Amino acid sequence: MRVTLFATCIVDMFQSDVGIATVELLERLGCDIVFPTGQVCCGQPAYNSGYVEDAKKAMKKMIATFEDAEVIVTPSGSCATMFKDYQHVFQDDPVWRPRAERLAEKTYELTEFIVDVLKIEDVGAKLEGIATYHPSCHMTRLLGVKDAPMKLLSHVKGLEMQPLPNAQNCCGFGGTFSVKMGNISEQMVDEKVDSVTETKASYLIGADGGCLMNIGGRMQRRGKPVKVMHIAEVLNSR
Amino acid sequence: MIQNKERFLANVASRLSRTEVLTERPSRNWNYRPQDKTLTDKTQDELVDILRDQCRLIHTELIETDSSGLPEVLAETVAAYGGGPLAIWQDHRYDAFGLREQLATWPNQGIDVHEWDPSIGHDNIGIVEQANIGITFSDITLAESGTVVLFSGEGKGRTVSLLPHKYIALVPKSTIVPRMTQAAQRISKQVQDGEAIASCINFITGPSNSADIEMNLVVGVHGPVKAAYIVIEDR
Amino acid sequence: MAMKIGNEKFKDNVNKQMEDTFMRGAVAGAQERLRTRRLDAAEELGNWEEWRSHGEEIRQHTLDHLDYYLQELSENLQKRGGHVFFAATAEEANDYVKGIVKEKRAKKILKAKSMVTEEIGLNGVLEQEGCDVIETDLGEYILQLDDHDPPSHIVTPALHKNKEQIKDVFTEKLDYKLTSKPEELALHAREKLRQEFLQADIGITGCNFAIAESGSVGLVTNEGNAGMVSDLPDTQICVMGMERIVPTFEEFEVLVGLLTRSAVGQKLTSYITALTGPRTAEEADGPSEFHLVIVDNGRSGILGTEFQSVLQCIRCAACINVCPVYRHIGGHSYNSIYPGPIGAVLTPLLGGYDDFKELPYASTLCAACTDACPVKIPLHQLLHRHRQVIVEREGRAPISEKMAMKAFGIGASSNPLYAAGSKMASSVMKPFTKDETISKGPGPLKAWTEIRDFPAPNKERFRDWFKQHEKESGKL
Repeated sequence: MRVTLFATCIVDMFQSDVGIATVELLERLGCDIVFPTGQVCCGQPAYNSGYVEDAKKAMKKMIATFEDAEVIVTPSGSCATMFKDYQHVFQDDPVWRPRAERLAEKTYELTEFIVDVLKIEDVGAKLEGIATYHPSCHMTRLLGVKDAPMKLLSHVKGLEMQPLPNAQNCCGFGGTFSVKMGNISEQMVDEKVDSVTETKASYLIGADGGCLMNIGGRMQRRGKPVKVMHIAEVLNSR
Repeated sequence: MIQNKERFLANVASRLSRTEVLTERPSRNWNYRPQDKTLTDKTQDELVDILRDQCRLIHTELIETDSSGLPEVLAETVAAYGGGPLAIWQDHRYDAFGLREQLATWPNQGIDVHEWDPSIGHDNIGIVEQANIGITFSDITLAESGTVVLFSGEGKGRTVSLLPHKYIALVPKSTIVPRMTQAAQRISKQVQDGEAIASCINFITGPSNSADIEMNLVVGVHGPVKAAYIVIEDR
Repeated sequence: MAMKIGNEKFKDNVNKQMEDTFMRGAVAGAQERLRTRRLDAAEELGNWEEWRSHGEEIRQHTLDHLDYYLQELSENLQKRGGHVFFAATAEEANDYVKGIVKEKRAKKILKAKSMVTEEIGLNGVLEQEGCDVIETDLGEYILQLDDHDPPSHIVTPALHKNKEQIKDVFTEKLDYKLTSKPEELALHAREKLRQEFLQADIGITGCNFAIAESGSVGLVTNEGNAGMVSDLPDTQICVMGMERIVPTFEEFEVLVGLLTRSAVGQKLTSYITALTGPRTAEEADGPSEFHLVIVDNGRSGILGTEFQSVLQCIRCAACINVCPVYRHIGGHSYNSIYPGPIGAVLTPLLGGYDDFKELPYASTLCAACTDACPVKIPLHQLLHRHRQVIVEREGRAPISEKMAMKAFGIGASSNPLYAAGSKMASSVMKPFTKDETISKGPGPLKAWTEIRDFPAPNKERFRDWFKQHEKESGKL
């Protein structure tokens, strides 16, 4: 299957390993990957801060870049949610709304794509150790992808999954929230770090680069010896 | 008297993009009606089972009996709750369920019984407030939530179920319905039929309680501290 | 007290509140219990989503026809001998109640918990008239005794207080001599308040839902205090926010069930009462005079706008009980009697952006609130909409942020600019980088790195790797 990769700006600039893992994983599962170089940021930072008109510029650019794709796959629940939300952002725009609707129909978060479209739950991955999984908010609540990551992780050989206490609570990232309301964000991420520590896991796994950057950055600052891994990296481990 | 209505409602209407206040009843075409399929397939005996289970959760004792056993069961429950004084409704159902004799017996045993007396007006309240136990019939009983529904009226003071230290509800089995849905439908029908509904309809679910202090459940705050339902097989 | 409960800046308030470790522990514990209870109560029904959808359609329908239903309510209550006063403002509502108090020469006024009377500041007005105003909900009673400490939660208002603090308040104000056991404290309050109930001249309650078809007022409590307040005094006044209404008893039942399950995880609370006017001529208890005050106080300004759905709210606090921000900052940080996500949406609408423009930003938009709401208010979307209004319509955003976002719009939508920017990132950040990590970042990164490390930008961007990968696999 020909898959158009929406890598996300975080992956492009800060987490190229996640992008590489995504490509290798999907190729191994028989997909042919296309990466349109016109892709930029999905617009979420500006959009969530209330700058809808400024964000629309990036959104239009993304629609134009991706609209010829057969399926679009992205290793981020939050960015996938933003893609799917474009149709609401442009709901009063007769030109862009239909284009945004078509984009939404063919956009998938990575784990959702593997489980629901490729119909694969065992990707043949192997990783020794104890891990816990942080379900990111946009992916579970807004995109509605709840079970796919756990299905995939349950088949990773050697990996023992421990439930994360208060998993449902946000990690405190929230885009610009993390700097605008830094003191509150700190308390939230600290609680998340404490929950991760409580599980005694050696790996924290997530499916959203933003959340992982936040929790990982705080764990590193607090000297916690937990390795942060994007689920694509876990599924690409052999 | 209604005051300031025109100006107020005209503003509301204009906010809703209407030039005049809507005077025709809007039709209510719901897309969802989950209440129609919630517990509606249960038999009367199954409803008693549901009620029994629920009473455990609401700190309420449930006792089952029939008409012939009722006087004795009630007397025992009253004794277990520390006896009188008792406050009851002025209600023909005490006769219909063969309780008149028991009501006459109690005073001989030193247990005062105050039967609500509309002719003494507010003085009822002072007496009821001193009662140890209030006893009323349930007009409708909701199995799912363990709720007795009481309609206030001439002989049926609203405070009898609220002011005494403990409360006993007499629950004829025929009054048990699946849930609040059926009670609401009955009341709504009364309204549509042009009947006057009771000025006070109480849906009482067990004793009063509060979790306002550190989320600790305290049973018995302003209302009764204990409650029992006596279910009577009546058909 | 009115809706606004303090004059501190949001940030100062938050910093102060976050030092209150008892409060934070209490809030976290309460959230866990209430969340679990709500989920269990929802689970029991089996088809919770259907119930939520029904709740939503009932609330939407009622708001869309609010003029009709308010008219029907007022006429039906009048037929039953009740008085109805429509109050456009807090002042009108307070003046009306004051008028009744004066006419009755009332001295002792008993109240059952009501958010709208907090909002309009009714207690203060009546106290100025020389009345003794007594709150009867246990939580509210504690707060009132403690020199009018404001509520921090809309269902359990004294959540932020521990039993030792409550014992101290009782000892000081009520000559209490027992321990801090909740049972003993509650029993003491029962005895004190019982005497007050019997002597009260006027009872004031709120209204959970009014029922238009019959002119009734529905009250929901666990303690039975609303019953006391409405049964015993000779005059009763109900104060309701104008949106708190349903068409018939059938919808009342649905919403009460959603409320009790969502608020406290109970199928129904201990006391649910539907009052229809004063007592009848045959009855011996209940009020002889019944007044309903229907309050607008800014609500009509929300009707017909993009924020209308916030008026669907049934005040269950489910959103507050799941909010990870409320969890850490507590209710008082919001500076409003309406805290949490619902407060962050509603307070700026009722109280304006001058005082409350920070509140919509006190959220990560994690949507836990939206997910929990039993009547499906899209709370996180409304928070987002506030931000848009603040930035684009009101122009209240800081200049530096505006510039940054403008630059974002231009940069992100232009290939050459994005490409150049992302390519340069690595070398620009080099001076700040050590071991692939930035621990003290410049500019916008400063706030981030005060708390956490930031990864150094990739030396090779993903897109550069991909280009190479394509070459190697012979595609290019």
